Amino acid sequence: MVRTNRMPRYFVHLLLVVGAILMIMPFVWMLLTSFKSVTESTSMNPFVFFPSAWKWENYSEVLRQNNFPRLYWNTFAMVALRVVCSIVFSAMAAYAFARLKFPGRNFFFGLVLFQMMVPTQIFIIPQYLMVDSLGMRNTIFALLFPGLVSAFGTFLLRQFFMGLPKELEEAAKLDGCNIGQTFVRIMLPLVRSGMVALGIFTALFAFKDLMWPMIVNTNSNAATLSSALAKIQGAYSVDYPELMAASVLAIVPMLILYVIFQKQFIEGVATSGGKL
Amino acid sequence: MKKSLSVALTLGLAASALAACGSNNNNSGSSASPSATPSASPSASSSAPASQAASGEKVTLTYAIWDSNQEKGLRTIADEFEAANPNIKINIEVTGWADYWTMLEAGATGGSLPDVFWMHSNEIYRYASNGMLLDLNDRIASSQAVKLENFPEGLNQIYNFQGKQYAVPKDFDTIGLWYNKTMFDAAGLKHPDESWTWDDLYSAAKALTKDGVYGFLAPLHNQEGYYNFVYQNGGTIITDDKKSGYDDPKTIEALEFYVNFVIEGLSPAVFDDAERAELIQNGKVAMGYFGSWNLSGFTANEFMAKNFDVAVLPKKEKQASIYNGLGNAIAFNTKHPDEAWKFVEYLSSKEGQDRQAELGVAISAYNGAADLWVSSNKTFNIKAFVDMVDYGVIRPYSNTTAVWEDKAYEALGPAFTGKATVEEAAKNAAKIMNESLAQEK
Amino acid sequence: MNKQIARRISKQTWGEWSWGWFLIAPTIIGLIVLNIIPIIQTAYLSLFKSGDFGRGNIYVGLDNYRKMFSDVQVWHSVGNTLLYALLVVPTSIAISLIVAVFLNGKICGKSIYRTIYFIPMVAAPAAVTMVWRWLYNEHFGLINYLLSRIGADAVDWVGSPKLSLISIAIIGIWSVIGYNMVLLLAGLQEIPKDFYEASDIDGASRFRQFFVITLPLLSPTLFFVVVTSIIQAMQVFDVIYMMIDVTSPAYEHTVSLVYLFYNNSFKYSNKGYGSAIVILLLAIILIITFIQMRAQKKWVNYM
Repeated sequence: MVRTNRMPRYFVHLLLVVGAILMIMPFVWMLLTSFKSVTESTSMNPFVFFPSAWKWENYSEVLRQNNFPRLYWNTFAMVALRVVCSIVFSAMAAYAFARLKFPGRNFFFGLVLFQMMVPTQIFIIPQYLMVDSLGMRNTIFALLFPGLVSAFGTFLLRQFFMGLPKELEEAAKLDGCNIGQTFVRIMLPLVRSGMVALGIFTALFAFKDLMWPMIVNTNSNAATLSSALAKIQGAYSVDYPELMAASVLAIVPMLILYVIFQKQFIEGVATSGGKL
Repeated sequence: MKKSLSVALTLGLAASALAACGSNNNNSGSSASPSATPSASPSASSSAPASQAASGEKVTLTYAIWDSNQEKGLRTIADEFEAANPNIKINIEVTGWADYWTMLEAGATGGSLPDVFWMHSNEIYRYASNGMLLDLNDRIASSQAVKLENFPEGLNQIYNFQGKQYAVPKDFDTIGLWYNKTMFDAAGLKHPDESWTWDDLYSAAKALTKDGVYGFLAPLHNQEGYYNFVYQNGGTIITDDKKSGYDDPKTIEALEFYVNFVIEGLSPAVFDDAERAELIQNGKVAMGYFGSWNLSGFTANEFMAKNFDVAVLPKKEKQASIYNGLGNAIAFNTKHPDEAWKFVEYLSSKEGQDRQAELGVAISAYNGAADLWVSSNKTFNIKAFVDMVDYGVIRPYSNTTAVWEDKAYEALGPAFTGKATVEEAAKNAAKIMNESLAQEK
Repeated sequence: MNKQIARRISKQTWGEWSWGWFLIAPTIIGLIVLNIIPIIQTAYLSLFKSGDFGRGNIYVGLDNYRKMFSDVQVWHSVGNTLLYALLVVPTSIAISLIVAVFLNGKICGKSIYRTIYFIPMVAAPAAVTMVWRWLYNEHFGLINYLLSRIGADAVDWVGSPKLSLISIAIIGIWSVIGYNMVLLLAGLQEIPKDFYEASDIDGASRFRQFFVITLPLLSPTLFFVVVTSIIQAMQVFDVIYMMIDVTSPAYEHTVSLVYLFYNNSFKYSNKGYGSAIVILLLAIILIITFIQMRAQKKWVNYM
């Protein structure tokens, strides 16, 4: 028994390492390309893996051309607002859809699913017109706008709420909690992993969203990291080293946030179900 | 309770962020302008009274462009314009090619176009026919600095819709023959020059095809490919009465010559846009047709800079090179039409066009200014691009260019893979293109 | 007596109703304004020959649909889209489930693994495209280089009509593993540890534990992953758009519904026809999702 348990362990590591190499490759590539010369970056024959000289100028050039403090701030504000909105509103709606009975529940939930089925490209121009008619172009609000509510988050957290035992609410009811108290005090803490996952995804999707900020915030002071960096990709030629240097600068904060937040999974609520 | 608090917090945050955004509108890229403006303003203010409406009030214009490579040079020109017109400030906004048109379309639909922006031959019809652009006829007529006869007639025509001029040409581009001079020398071949014919091209391609290198690059690409051959052979893509030229025997003959490079193995079969540059930058092909807009990319590439040079295209019945150019247009509903025109007038004046050429931003459309551009790049013989304007053929266009260009590609593909003869593919392309043209309004 | 109970119940029910409405209000109002109205506009627009910039639309009834159903390319794209989903969804979910279960256990370096498997999600799209283009490149690519070492011929991975959809599906699988993994990891956290402890005492093997405890308890999350993965796969656009031009001989064998919609609506400015394609896509996804909502009762285990 013990022996059969150990053997796979090495095997598991082997599999994970092979997978990890495949997964990390673009990132390593990005990092290496960000130090190459333009020629090296597009050279495939001979193929250049390591830059012959590490060009830090790519970074200083990118930093010089872009107002990074402002870009970081705009991006941070957009990401933070979208995360807060999506978690708060989604958790509320998800709890109602999962645990409460009320007329129209299935219809409204159908509406939530419906939204997810439509390619996002059709929303861009109508949403642009809304922001424009509010006179809110080139603002942080414009960046937040499409992320005010999240069908994705509502569906995700609904699944998490539905996985929780019914006994919890019955116990709360006996203790005299009303629905709002049960939701905030008892149920909400139990779906923390779900909220963390939603937070990570909302942040990530907001961060990677390129077309919306580019179109709605054309002023370079109201741009986000990804929309500002997309400019480096010109119409005809691409300066890959600078593009990659800019991307590294943009991604690092995101990666740090992920490393911090994925720990929440480990220290999550896994034991609090032990009440059962 | 908890919720309303977070909502209030959210709104509060948003509001404070908005305030921060609105107050700061100084562009990071324009760090040169604040220092330039005050010093130049005393002398410039004497010429300022010409602008009647704006009584000292500062006006900010947005200038939307899609090529970040030109941003730096245009910023310099805009700074110089601001110095001479202290009451006008120019904000250059760059959006990548594909998103640029989505942005412009959204702006046109919502009535919030940039004040001044670039126009392209593929899109002019939609914007002009829907009244999205300011009619420039009267302003050009009364202008001292802008005279349309100083620009190539073909370029003017692109932006002329029903007798009204909706944009002034800014620059142009032509297609050149890029060749690997190292390979030519090694093979003991004479470098291409203006005397070259199709036969020279073919025999050079044959001589250079060896050791895994292809002599020529004949991709499924119109502007940087077979269009040039079609017009050199006296064929056409679109006739004057808006019919497809793909079934013209001269067109088919040119296509047959072109596709033959692939069939004989003198060129790889290339369909992908990015792959073309990959092949030439990695020494896989000895010759290829590339437009003048690749210049900055090729100059930055050490392999290209060391081994390559550019020449005019070889001829058949006549010489031809596809050329195209973009124009500066003004939104019909700009709040500052006079100031916007002032800026476009400066960009289109001899002075502005000369500056654009000197700074190496693009090949200026203004007759003669292009010669200044030639000296902006010492790496390649870029004079070839300017020489070709004399016999340049405007890139074929109609009101729905983007539609039939793609349809023609789909129809021609099988000829390159050998699944159909060139004649079949071309006739099919003509049929589909005519169906598409018939639906034009 | 009876009436009193009825009234008390109805008061309680009323309370639950109003809480329900109150809690969903922000999301539903937001969705209606931001998304549902544009969807209705799209459906409406599909009945028009669209003019430019939202003006001059001409009502044509079902003409766009008639044209669509006789358009071979649309049917190709329906087939391609379904095939893509079929290639990507089962494989990617299986791989990410295995990875998530491994990384949920006591394994050293799991933090590092979790970060690395997530990286494809953060990497810049341009970097991702560059790497895959290089791997697949016919002339200089790593895969063909390795093949040449064992004496095999070069393969045109992206350009060949037979292979390109598979090559693209591999990129698709690769890029969603991190997404699925994070969701499944979050779901795994919700499974109380004592279930495993109890079955350890019973002497159940890990393999058995996976099927008896993990899978049923993970099923609500898994259901979410399946539904959203299928929707995402059906909306595939970016990867194909970046790898395949309209000039490619593989275009017909890879073009997806959203790609067609994008070309018609944005490139060819034919918004009416593009809208009809979106409605077709919507109908297909709707049917698939409806079947899944029905089938979930058979396998999803809500406590």
